[in-house]
Amino acid sequence: MTPFGCGRARRAMPLRYYSALLAADREWLDRHLAACRTCASEWEALRLALDAAIPSTVFPMEAEVDWDRQARDTVARARTAAAAARDGHSAVPLPGAVRRPYFTLAPAAARWAALAAAVLVAVFLVTGWPGRRAPGPEDVSSLQGPGDQPTAESVRESAALIETRLARRGATRYLTDSRVLLLNLVQAPARCRKADGEFDITFEKEKSRELLRRKNLHEGNLDTLRDRRLSDLVGQMESLLIQVTSLGDCASARQLHELREEIETRQILLRIDLLTREMQEKTHVV
Amino acid sequence: MERDDFALMDDVRNDREGAFEALVRRYQRRLYRLAFGYLRNHEDSLDAVQEAMVKIYVARAAYRPTAHPFTWAARILANHCIDLLRQRRSRPTESLDTAQGEGEDRAPRQMVSNDEPQQARQERKDLGRALNRAIYSLPTNQREIFMLRHFGEMRLEEIASARGCALGTVKSSLHRAAAAIRDYLGACDPPIKYPARQGGEAR
Repeated sequence: MTPFGCGRARRAMPLRYYSALLAADREWLDRHLAACRTCASEWEALRLALDAAIPSTVFPMEAEVDWDRQARDTVARARTAAAAARDGHSAVPLPGAVRRPYFTLAPAAARWAALAAAVLVAVFLVTGWPGRRAPGPEDVSSLQGPGDQPTAESVRESAALIETRLARRGATRYLTDSRVLLLNLVQAPARCRKADGEFDITFEKEKSRELLRRKNLHEGNLDTLRDRRLSDLVGQMESLLIQVTSLGDCASARQLHELREEIETRQILLRIDLLTREMQEKTHVV
Repeated sequence: MERDDFALMDDVRNDREGAFEALVRRYQRRLYRLAFGYLRNHEDSLDAVQEAMVKIYVARAAYRPTAHPFTWAARILANHCIDLLRQRRSRPTESLDTAQGEGEDRAPRQMVSNDEPQQARQERKDLGRALNRAIYSLPTNQREIFMLRHFGEMRLEEIASARGCALGTVKSSLHRAAAAIRDYLGACDPPIKYPARQGGEAR
C-alpha cells in the first residue's frame, strides 16, 4: 500500500462515516481498509470517537428534564404570547430569523422615554418631591415637634448627622472607585511593553495614588464613621492601594496573582458591593 | 418522516388542536442540544428552547414550506442564542468556569443504572467530558455543523440549507471536525475507554 493511498484513505474516512462518499470511492476505501492494518485501526478509532458523540454521552442532563412538563409549559406560554400579540401588546419579540425592521426604533425611543419618566416618578416618590423631604429614621426634623425652636442639642445632633452623611457618601464613592480599580487590575490588566514585567499597571498605580490622596483628604470625615464595617473596609482598601502603588510599572504575573488572592481571601469586592448598596440606601433616606 | 414534519407544521399554521404541542414534543430535545452547543448552560438552554418555540408559534403564519420546519426552528433558535450570548458578553453574570463546567460532572439519571459498576460509570463520565472538550475546541463553524449533524439529527443537505451554504462546505467542515475530534480523543492521557460499540456507520 502506498503512502499516497493511505493519505487518500484518511481523508475519505470521515465522509465514509457520514455516508457522503461516492459508491466507487467507498468500494476503493473498503478494499484499502481490508489490506492496510494502519488505516483499519485509524478507521476503528474514528468510528469509536464519532459513535460516542451521542446525546446521552454529551448532554447527560437532558435525561433529567421532565420533557412532558416542559412541553406543556411551552405551549401555555406560546398561547399567552400569541394572544398578547393579537391584542397588540407585543409580549414576545419577533422571531430571531425575521430581523427587526428599522421603524421599530421610534416606539423603542418612546418606550425609553416612558421608562425614564417612570424612574423619575419612582425616585421622587421614594425620596420626596423637591422642596418636601420625607422624614427618615435619622432625620433631624423628625426629632422636633412642629413649631419647636431649634435647641443647641438639636443643632449639634443635626451637625453630627450631616457629618455622618457626608462621611458615608465619601466612603461609598471611595469604595466604589476602588472596586472599579481592583476589577481592572484583576480582570483585564494590559500587557506590558517593557521586557522586565508582564502587565502594565501604570494607570492603576496612578489611580491608586489618587484614591489614597482622596482618602487622606476625607480622613477626618471617615474617622467619624459609626459603621464599623465601613471603616474596616476603608482601612483594608487603603492597605491594598498602598500595595498597588508599591509595585513597579510592569508587574509580574506572580505579583498580580498574590494581589488577586488577597482580594479573594478577604472577599473585598463582594463586601464593597454589599456595603456600598447598603450605604446608598442609607444616604437616600438621610 | 419529513412529510410528517411538513404536515405537522401545516397543522400548526392552521391552528389544529394539539398540533403545536406535538411539534414542541418532537423538536424540543433536538433544539435543547443545539442551544446547549451555544450557551453551555442547562437552564439557559431550556429557557432558550422555550423562547424559540414561543417565537415559532407567534410567527407560525410567516412560515413558508420552502425550508424544512426543523431547519426554520433551528435558525430561530440560533438567532435567539446569539442574541443571548451578545447580552451575556455585554453584562457577564457568571464566571466562564461555571458555564463551562456545568453538566460535565453530573451523571445522567437514565443512562446510569444502579447495576452499572462504578468504574464503567466513571469511564462514561470521562468520555462525556472529553467529548465536550473536544467539541468545544472546534472552530465555531465546524462545531455548529457537527452539532447539527450529531445532535440535531439533521442530514447533510438539511444542514446546508439551514446554514445557507453549499453541501461541499458542510462535508468539508464535518470532515475537519471529525478528524479533530478523533485526534483530540486519541491524544487524551489516560487513554479514553469507549463503551461497547453500538453499530457501524452513521445514517
